Amino acid sequence: MRPTLSQAVARLILLPGLAISIATLVKGYGDAGDGFAAGVIAALTLLVQYVAFGYREAERRIPGLRRLPVAAVAGLARALAVALVPAARGDAILTHWPPPGDSPVRLGTLELVSAVLFDVGVFLVVLGVVTGAVGAIARAAERAGGRA
Amino acid sequence: MILVISLVVAILFGAGAYLLLKPDLFRVIVGVVLVSHAANLALMGSGLSRGQPPIYPLPFSDGISDPLVQALTLTAIVIGFAVTTLLLGLVVRVYRSHFAPDLDEVARAEARREAELERDEVSI
Amino acid sequence: MIALAVGIPWVAAVALLFLDGRRRWVGWLAVTAAAAGFGTVAALAALVVVDGPREVVAGGWPPGVGIVLRADALGVAFAVLSSGVLLVALAQQVIAGVRSRTFPALVLFLATGLTGLFLTGDVFNFYVFFELSMIAAYVLTTYGGRARQTGGAFIFAVVNLLGSFIFLIAVAAIYHVTGTLEMRAVADQLAVVEPSTVILIAVALFVAFGVKLGLFPFHFWLPVVYAGARPTVAAILGGALANIGSYGVLRFGAGLLPRELELGAVALLVIGGASIVYGSLQAVSRRTAPEVLAYSSIGQVGYVLVALSVGGRAGLAAAVVFALVNSLNKALLFLTVELRGWLVGAAFAVGALSVTGVPPSAGFFGKAALFRAGLDAGDVAVVVLLFLGGALSFVYMFQIYQRDHWRPASATAPGGSSPLAARAIAIGLAMLVIALGVWPEPLISIGEDAASALLGGR
Repeated sequence: MRPTLSQAVARLILLPGLAISIATLVKGYGDAGDGFAAGVIAALTLLVQYVAFGYREAERRIPGLRRLPVAAVAGLARALAVALVPAARGDAILTHWPPPGDSPVRLGTLELVSAVLFDVGVFLVVLGVVTGAVGAIARAAERAGGRA
Repeated sequence: MILVISLVVAILFGAGAYLLLKPDLFRVIVGVVLVSHAANLALMGSGLSRGQPPIYPLPFSDGISDPLVQALTLTAIVIGFAVTTLLLGLVVRVYRSHFAPDLDEVARAEARREAELERDEVSI
Repeated sequence: MIALAVGIPWVAAVALLFLDGRRRWVGWLAVTAAAAGFGTVAALAALVVVDGPREVVAGGWPPGVGIVLRADALGVAFAVLSSGVLLVALAQQVIAGVRSRTFPALVLFLATGLTGLFLTGDVFNFYVFFELSMIAAYVLTTYGGRARQTGGAFIFAVVNLLGSFIFLIAVAAIYHVTGTLEMRAVADQLAVVEPSTVILIAVALFVAFGVKLGLFPFHFWLPVVYAGARPTVAAILGGALANIGSYGVLRFGAGLLPRELELGAVALLVIGGASIVYGSLQAVSRRTAPEVLAYSSIGQVGYVLVALSVGGRAGLAAAVVFALVNSLNKALLFLTVELRGWLVGAAFAVGALSVTGVPPSAGFFGKAALFRAGLDAGDVAVVVLLFLGGALSFVYMFQIYQRDHWRPASATAPGGSSPLAARAIAIGLAMLVIALGVWPEPLISIGEDAASALLGGR
């Protein structure tokens, strides 16, 4: 009943989609990209799986998909922590390390700044909320005997 | 560019408004989403300027683009997303209680209920 | 202090999301948080009335860059009223027993959104808080979980979202022509840019707030939602949420766009008058109390508009006083609709008399202020409208009273009378309405303060 073509596309798209999203995530601040965009890309990739396979099959194929809403809470906590740690040290909240002008620690072409940590939190929130909401609606619709 | 954006905003809003008037609840939601994107795009268009990235230290030689609209639009998109999720959840509940994802059906169910109430009242 | 007023309900709401709101202690915890929020807002209001407006720029940024929170007389008056109504409604629901996990948290989110909205000095922030409170309200409308509530909530959500997005487009237009979002700077800029663009913005804003208020041509969603929602929720919608519309019209109309307001005075008068007549006539023809009250709300917001159309200091003060009194009345009436027992009838009667504007109730001074504004302006139409609306409201209020409270107690209340604590809340609210009618000084002075804050904001 689900078209094979979309399943094939969904299968093909899964890993590249996630890879692009992670690239967008870590390259933020040095280049175009940030946690929100990365989260949206990853969430869309996973949504394609939901649409192509139905939520049961998708959750069977991708272990941990059901647990992603938990990641949203973890991400929120992480973003809050990154925001509030400078406050504990006497700076304004959301002050990032290293300060503007200093050169950050480099790992190959990656620039490690604390803003990326914050963005990982944002990424997890977006991803967790989107997949959680879609999963919950799919389940509720099925309980209601819907066509979704 | 402004002209293109205004045209797209107009088309999005028009299409959204058209869908909002449909009886099918899913179409209504798509209509809301389209209208929300029309608003987001209008917000983007309101501060469109082309220049250097607004990253510290600022290049004072020529103009920098306006970062504020991007932040505003991002906020509006997130709000729109939350609202869409909420509406989808509501449709599921409407469906569960009326067994129809369709406003006409819902209205008929309401009318039946009202008629029953009227009968009860008359018999009292 | 301002940040605290917004922060307390916010933090409490987030914390309560993780708790089961059906438990009694969680409910009381929420009531405590709401009371703390209300207390902070009230203290802030006292400071503002004594010392004048206060302002905070979030995050220690220089003004013009950071987001401004500003408390002036208009803002705090609405904030105090709304958080008070939410507190009372929440307390009553907790006494009656909460049947949904998230109800207390949602009420607190609504409190956060409303307080933030009344205290912000930034147009976009207004939108954010506005959506925060609207989303909480959409979910609250489904409370009860029956077909009627969900159907109503869907209509409510879709119609109001359309209004919100129109508002957002207006915000975009404001930013485009003024290049700023800070309310005072916006007001300064709008006074000098080309009038024809500003009129478009004004119309978009008016439509957006008209939808919220349920004014005559935009009213169609309101009766379904108010009559369908549970009485506590209806009290929240009519007593707290509808304030967004009145506040928005006042702040954006009189504060940011005074020139356009004067230009559109006739249109406002016509629309307000149509709302009054339509709402009152429909209310007379309805049979159940919630429906009558829903249509009565349409009529009552018409008065706010009429007062605005009169304009000037007296007109604005009248609009503020009337909007405040009206939401107090609506909260009282919706809360007493389902209660039965000793003195509840009296509480309802107080609310009803206040709506019709009979002394000694707060409503009298709302009407009196309007009346005086109308006479000062020498506007015959306003005075006639007031008489007509008052007479009709007397008819429909008396009808409900007769139907619901004049029958023998056994016939109207299958479950006997309501819990004492719930009745005490309703009676307390009624006492407040009478107290404001007997000693209206604070109400009138806050109206005057608010009017001068609006006029001085130019």
